[in-house]
Amino acid sequence: MGSPRPDRHYLLRQRDVSGIHQLAVYREHGGYQALQQALEANQPDQLVELTKASGLRGRGGAGFPTGMKWSFLPKDGRARVLVVNADEGEPGTFKDRELMEGNPHQLIEGMIITCFAIGAPESYVYIRGEFLHGYERLTAAIREAEEAGILGERVMGTDFSHRMFVYRGAGAYICGEETALLESLEGKRGNPRSKPPFPAVAGLYGRPTVVNNVETIMNLPPLVLEGADWYRQWGTEKSPGLKVMSVSGHVNRPGNYEVPLDWTLAELIEAAGGVRTGHQVKAVIPGGSSMPCMPASQLDTPIDYESLVQAGSMLGSGGCIVMDETTCMVRAVARVVRFYRNESCGKCTPCREGTFWLTDILDRLERGDGEMSDLDTLLDVSDNINGKAFCALGDAAVGFLVSALKHFREEFVEHITGQRCPLGARQYDTVNH
Amino acid sequence: MTQLTIDGRTISVPEGTMVVDAAAKLGIDIPIYCYHQSLGPLGACRICLVEIEKMPKLQTACTTAVREGMVVRTGGPAVEKGRQGILEFLLINHPLDCPVCDKGGECFLQDYSFWYGAGKNRFEESKIQRRKDYPVSSYILLDQERCVLCQRCIRFMGEYVGEEQLMLEGRGVHTVVSTVEGQPATSPYAGNVIDLCPVGALLSEPYHFKARPWNIEREETLCSVCPVGCASLVTGRDGRAVRLEGRPQPELNDYGFLCDHGRFTYDYTYHPRRLTAAELDGAPQSPSAVIAAVGERLARAVAEAGPESVGVLTGGTHTVEEEWALARFAQDVVGTSRLGLVKPVAGDLPLALLGTFGDLAAATGVLLLGVDPYEAVPVVHLKLREARRAHPVAVWGLGDRTLTRATLPGDDYVVEPGRVAAALGAVLGGGDLDERWQALAEGLLTTERLVVLWDGADPGAAAALAQLAARRAGPTAVLPTHGPRNWLGAVRAGIPADDAAARGILEDAAEGRLSALILLGADPIRDFPDGDLAARALERVPSVYFMGAFAPEPRHALAAILPTAVWAEVTGTYANMEGRLQVAHGAAAAPGPARPVRPLVTALARAFGRPLRLGDDFDPFADQDGDRIARPPASQVPEDPAAPAPLRIREGEWALITGEVVAVSHPPSEIAERSRDRFPLRLNPADADRLGLRPEGGLVEVSQAERRFVAGARRDARIPEGRVFVPRGLPEVPVNRLDRGAGVRVALADRVPEGVAAQ
Repeated sequence: MGSPRPDRHYLLRQRDVSGIHQLAVYREHGGYQALQQALEANQPDQLVELTKASGLRGRGGAGFPTGMKWSFLPKDGRARVLVVNADEGEPGTFKDRELMEGNPHQLIEGMIITCFAIGAPESYVYIRGEFLHGYERLTAAIREAEEAGILGERVMGTDFSHRMFVYRGAGAYICGEETALLESLEGKRGNPRSKPPFPAVAGLYGRPTVVNNVETIMNLPPLVLEGADWYRQWGTEKSPGLKVMSVSGHVNRPGNYEVPLDWTLAELIEAAGGVRTGHQVKAVIPGGSSMPCMPASQLDTPIDYESLVQAGSMLGSGGCIVMDETTCMVRAVARVVRFYRNESCGKCTPCREGTFWLTDILDRLERGDGEMSDLDTLLDVSDNINGKAFCALGDAAVGFLVSALKHFREEFVEHITGQRCPLGARQYDTVNH
Repeated sequence: MTQLTIDGRTISVPEGTMVVDAAAKLGIDIPIYCYHQSLGPLGACRICLVEIEKMPKLQTACTTAVREGMVVRTGGPAVEKGRQGILEFLLINHPLDCPVCDKGGECFLQDYSFWYGAGKNRFEESKIQRRKDYPVSSYILLDQERCVLCQRCIRFMGEYVGEEQLMLEGRGVHTVVSTVEGQPATSPYAGNVIDLCPVGALLSEPYHFKARPWNIEREETLCSVCPVGCASLVTGRDGRAVRLEGRPQPELNDYGFLCDHGRFTYDYTYHPRRLTAAELDGAPQSPSAVIAAVGERLARAVAEAGPESVGVLTGGTHTVEEEWALARFAQDVVGTSRLGLVKPVAGDLPLALLGTFGDLAAATGVLLLGVDPYEAVPVVHLKLREARRAHPVAVWGLGDRTLTRATLPGDDYVVEPGRVAAALGAVLGGGDLDERWQALAEGLLTTERLVVLWDGADPGAAAALAQLAARRAGPTAVLPTHGPRNWLGAVRAGIPADDAAARGILEDAAEGRLSALILLGADPIRDFPDGDLAARALERVPSVYFMGAFAPEPRHALAAILPTAVWAEVTGTYANMEGRLQVAHGAAAAPGPARPVRPLVTALARAFGRPLRLGDDFDPFADQDGDRIARPPASQVPEDPAAPAPLRIREGEWALITGEVVAVSHPPSEIAERSRDRFPLRLNPADADRLGLRPEGGLVEVSQAERRFVAGARRDARIPEGRVFVPRGLPEVPVNRLDRGAGVRVALADRVPEGVAAQ
C-alpha cells in the first residue's frame, strides 16, 4: 500500500474551496502568502535549492527534475524567460485544464515564484486553443493580480517586477513539445527545433528560457510554505510528492485524482470508482496515449516514474486510460496511431511517412483485410520510427502499438485469420478523422 | 581542433564541425538530403544516421557536432537498417516516375536507393496524390509528389536570400512545399532551388522534358552574363546550350549559387537575332568571300592612309585567347595602335586596388559606391549576405539613390547626380562635415578590412579611392561591378581598357581621321557612355567591319558582318571582376558560319596579306600571379577630378539617373522574356502620385530637347524625389544619348508613339 491519501487537495484546491479562482477567495485561503514569503526572504537561489531538495519532477511527461532544469540556465546576466506549457494535448490527460480553470491563481503565484527564483522579468503561458474557459479564467485572474499589485511593476511592493502573457495555441499537438511550442509562440509554424541549443541557452527569441508544465509550477506555492520534507512525505525517494492523475476509460468515476506517487495502478483505479461494474480490466495505459500499455496482470505496479519504466511503460503526463475486456485492441491501436499520423508535424521522414503507413495497415487489419506478414511489417516499421524521428512524437506514435502487439498479439492474429473483429467491434467512424 | 575517429580513421577538424563534414574530409560519404553547408543543420530527413559510441540511439551526422574522442561508425547493421528504413519511407508516397522525370539519372533519391536501399518494396497501400508541375515561378516547376520535404528550398529563400517566398503548407503526411499565399516566387535567386533540390521536385521549366542525362554534354563553364562570372555547368544537347546550373567551388568557399538572369539566358546563343550569316555591304555572302574582301579593303586602307587610320574596338565579351588574337591582328597585322575596349562607364580602376571575393567574405565594412549589387551583380549581393552571416559587416551606400535594401541593410548617403566622387572626396578631405557624414568618414577610415563595390560611373572616384586606400591603416579592396563580362580578360590580353583609349578612337572616327573601324562584339552606340559620339563615329568612318554575335544598330553603318562563335561554343579563359582567370568549356556548336575568333582573325590576316602565326605562346595563366591577372602598382596617382559642373535642371524638369540592371542588360533571351520588367523606369512614389501613374506602373514619356522616348515606369521609394531612374542599356530609353548634366521632362504617355519604339 502506498502513502495515505492527503488530508486535503494541494493542487486541485477548487475541490475543497469553492470560488477559489477569484483572488479574494484565494487570498482568504492562504493565497499569495508563499509569494510574499519568497519575496521577503529575497533569496532566489534558496528557492532553486528548495525545489531541488523537494525532488519535484516535471509533470509534463518527461519527469525531468525541475530544480535541475532551472540550474541549467547559463549565468551570463541575460534576462531569463519562463514559458508555461499549458498546451495539454495528450489523449487521456486533462489535468492542466481543470487546474487552470479551477485554481488559476495558484498557477500565477507559482509562476511569479519561479520567475523570481530564476530571474525572469517576463513569463508566457502557452495555452491550448480549445481551452477557452481556462483561458478566460486565467486572463481574468491575471487582470485581478495586476490590479492588486501582484503582477506588473514592483510585485507586492518589492523591487521585483514581472509581466505575464497568455498566448492561445492553434490546435497542434506537437506544440506541447517545448521547442515546437517556442516556435509557435514566436508566430512560426509549430515544428520542433534542433537541440542543441537547448531552450535554457537559446529559447524564446533566443533568450535563456525555462519551459515548465502547469502542474509542475502549481507545486511551488505549497512547497514554499510547507518545505521539502513535507513534500517528500508522499511518493518514493526518486519520485516524491503528489500527482494529479487523469483517469479515463472504463472506470465508474472518470476524472482527475490528486494522489501520492507511490500508489499502485490498482489503488488509482479504485479511487476512480473501480473498473466499470461487471467488467474486468484488460489493459491500462498509465501515462497518456503516447505510452505503452500494460496488461491487467501488472496492476500492482506503483505509479512512480521508476516502477512504471521497469514495467515497460512510463508515467508520462499521468493520463491513465483504463480499458476493459470489451475493448478491441486493434481498433484502439488504430485510433491512437491515426491520432499521431494526424498530429505529426511533417518535418521528419520517419514520423511523417511511418505513421501514415502504420495507419493504413492498421485500418486494413481492422477491416479484416490483413495478412500475417502485416504484423512483422508493423513491428519493423515501428522499429524504423522508434528512436529515429526528430522529436519524441515518433516514439510516442508507436509505444502503444508495439506494447499491444506484445501483450495482445493473439487478438491481431484473430483479426487476420477470422477476417473480422473477434469482439464484434464496429469499425470506428472515419468521418471525423 | 577536435580529434575524432570515423570508421576507424582519425581526423582533426575545427571545433563545431558537423560529423557529416568531418566524414567528407576523410572521403567517407554519408548520405544527406536536408543538410547543406550554406543552410546549416536541420535534421529533418534522417538519412544521415550514424552510430556513435556511448550513445544508445543512432544519431544524425548532420546535426551532431564533433566532440573530442568521439568514435563514429557510418556503416554496420544498425546504420544500414536505419538508412534502409528512411529510404523506404521516402519512397512510399513517391510516384516512382523516374522514366519521365527530368532529374532521372541526376537524382540523389535514385542514387541512395541504389546504394543504400533495401531493393524491395513492402508498401501495398494507396499513395497520396499531390500537385505536379506546379509553377512556383516563371522558371520553376514543383512536383509535390516527388518532394522529400528537406526544406532546402524554403530555407535557402528565407534564411540565405532573405526573400521568404516558399513555405511549408499542411501538416504531417499532407505537408507540401508551396509559395507564400499562392503568389509566384519572384526573387532573382529562386532558380537556385532547382540545384539545391536533391530530388526531382523542383525543375527548370525551360529544361522540362528536354533531355536525359545520357543525351547531354555537361561541361564546366562560367556564366557569361555579368562580370561576376559565376562557376556553372552548361548542358549541351544536339549542339545547343539547354541548361545552366551552379557549380560549387569548395576551394573558393563558393556554393555555386547563380542568379536567374544568368541561369535562364543561355538561349541567347540561338536567339532569333543571333547573326548566322556573313554580309558584305548589306548583302549575304559566304564568310570566305567576306573575309577576302575585308582583308583586301583593310590592306588598301592601310596602304592609302597608313595603319593608324584603322581603329579596333572590342566589346570585351570574348575569351582572353580571342581578345589576344584580336590584339595581335591589330598590332602585328594592321600595325595600328588604335586599340581599345568599349565599356559602359568612364571610370578607370587603378588595378592595384583590385580585390577578390575572399576580401568580400572577410570584409568588416563594405561601401556600395554608386551600385546596388542586387541589381548589377546579383550574386555579389548573396556573397555579402553570406559574409554578414559569419560576422558583422557595416554597409554604406553612397550614390544618387538608395543603394542598400531590406535584405542588405545599411546606411545610405544620397547625393546629387554626378556628385559621387565629389562627395567621397569631401568625406576624405575632412572639412565641414555634419554628424552623419562624419560617421561615414570614420567608418570608411577605421573599419578593419574595407571593400568598395564601385560602378565606375563617376571617373573622379578613382582618385578618391586611391586616396582612401592610402589613408587607411587596414587593407582596402575595390571590386568593379561594371561590364563588359570579360573586360579584365581583355586587359590580360593587352588591350587598353581605359576610357581614354576607346574615346580617342571614337573621336578620331567622328572627326574623319579613320578610314576603317573593326569591332569585335562591340556596340559603341549602345554601350559607350557618350552614345552620341559613338553614333557620329560610326556614321563618319568609311568602313565598319563587325565581328560578333549580335549586330549593332544601325545596320547600314556596317560594311561587313562576320558572325562569331560565343560562350558555350568555344573553350577559353575569362577573367571575372576579381581579375580571376578561369576556363569555360564549350558544350554547344556555333550556328551556321559563325566561327571562333582565332581562325577568323588568322584568315583575315591571310587575306590582308600578312599571315599571323598564333602559336601556343600565349597562356593567360602565365603570370606571376597565377590565376589572377597582374595588378601593377599604380604608376601614377589618378588626377583629382575637376569640380563637377552644376546641374542644369530647370523648373519642372527631372534629374536623370542611371545604373546597371542586369535584368535589363543581359543578352537577348526568349526564356527571360517571360519575366521581363515591363516597367523598368523608376520614380519616387510621391512623384508618381503627382504624375498620376497607376499603382502597378504605366508608360511615361521621357524627353530632352527634341528627343522623346516612351517606356514603362513604376514606383520605387529608393529613388529620391525629382529623379527618374533609367537602367543603362534599355533600348526604349538610350540613357547614354541624353545629357545627364541637364534635366529631362517626364509625362504620362498612354501608348508608344510610332517611331519611338526600340531602336
